[in-house]
Amino acid sequence: MEVDRELVEAAQAGDRWALEELVRRTHRSVYTCALRLVGNPDDAADVTQDVYLRVVRKLGGFRHEASFSTWLNRVTTNVAMSTLKRRARRFAVEGAAVPADTRDPAPEPSERAEAVALARRLELLVAELPEGQRQVLVLRDVYGQSTEEVANAMGLTPGAVKVRLFRARERLKAELEAAEGGQVVALAGRRRATGRRS
Amino acid sequence: MTSCHSIRPLLPARAEELTVFEARARAEHVATCTRCATEAAAYSRLGQALATMANLEVAPADGTLERVLVAIGRRRTAVTTPRVLAAAGASGALVATVVVARAVHHRRQTRRQPARRRPLPGRLRLPSLPVPTPALARAK
Repeated sequence: MEVDRELVEAAQAGDRWALEELVRRTHRSVYTCALRLVGNPDDAADVTQDVYLRVVRKLGGFRHEASFSTWLNRVTTNVAMSTLKRRARRFAVEGAAVPADTRDPAPEPSERAEAVALARRLELLVAELPEGQRQVLVLRDVYGQSTEEVANAMGLTPGAVKVRLFRARERLKAELEAAEGGQVVALAGRRRATGRRS
Repeated sequence: MTSCHSIRPLLPARAEELTVFEARARAEHVATCTRCATEAAAYSRLGQALATMANLEVAPADGTLERVLVAIGRRRTAVTTPRVLAAAGASGALVATVVVARAVHHRRQTRRQPARRRPLPGRLRLPSLPVPTPALARAK
């Protein structure tokens, strides 16, 4: 998600076109984050709309202390968590996120391409994690939020976040190995044997 | 040397999630244990792949973007711009100051008014008599 500072500033100054362009450039990313958190396409679309309504309200207060994408991710996280708390219901795993269409980043070296291929497979497995584990894993490992930020967003203690994170990683690794016949472990072993950074 | 059993809970963690003591213990153990080293490397690659997921985007259903644009078009007003917000805030503060000042002034005014004297109990209250004008006095 690439967003120019000039575009954000123009939107802050009230430029309607800039605001709409901001939405066009970022809505897929916001929708994806929402889908990973709420696990349901319809609710992810609702969250996406609510995120931008909040962005319209709060954009004037954005001071560029963090990048716009980081700020937008935090807004998305807060809206998604509020939605989940408000509705207080669990979504069935069958209805969880299945990426219909993923967009490739620009061509990268083989190591990066390998990680992208693995990430695509992981998307399905992440969607099947229990809700609490999935949300912690997505916020911490996918979007890089700190343990404290995740704890605040989810209303948990940092200790509880660490426990869920540990379980989610352990389970995900086990499921990935089961799904691919230990391919990850083999790849890692091969990588280590060749002395490359893993 | 630490055992695999004690190191195992540390393997899924990222380096920054461990204390210095834990990180050192894990590094020392992994350097000498092939099995744990393989596990640690698998977790590391898993972490890389998860971080890569942030760059993969899912296409929302058709019409989602249009719906968002319509919603923000309805909600969006010029008040969201910082300058207008500042002006609106200053105006609001001014109005609030005037209202509070008038309320305080009004309260002070009501306090300054002398209290009405109540008639003493048991005493007849006479109506005020008209002051005789000179013409009326002459007629009498």
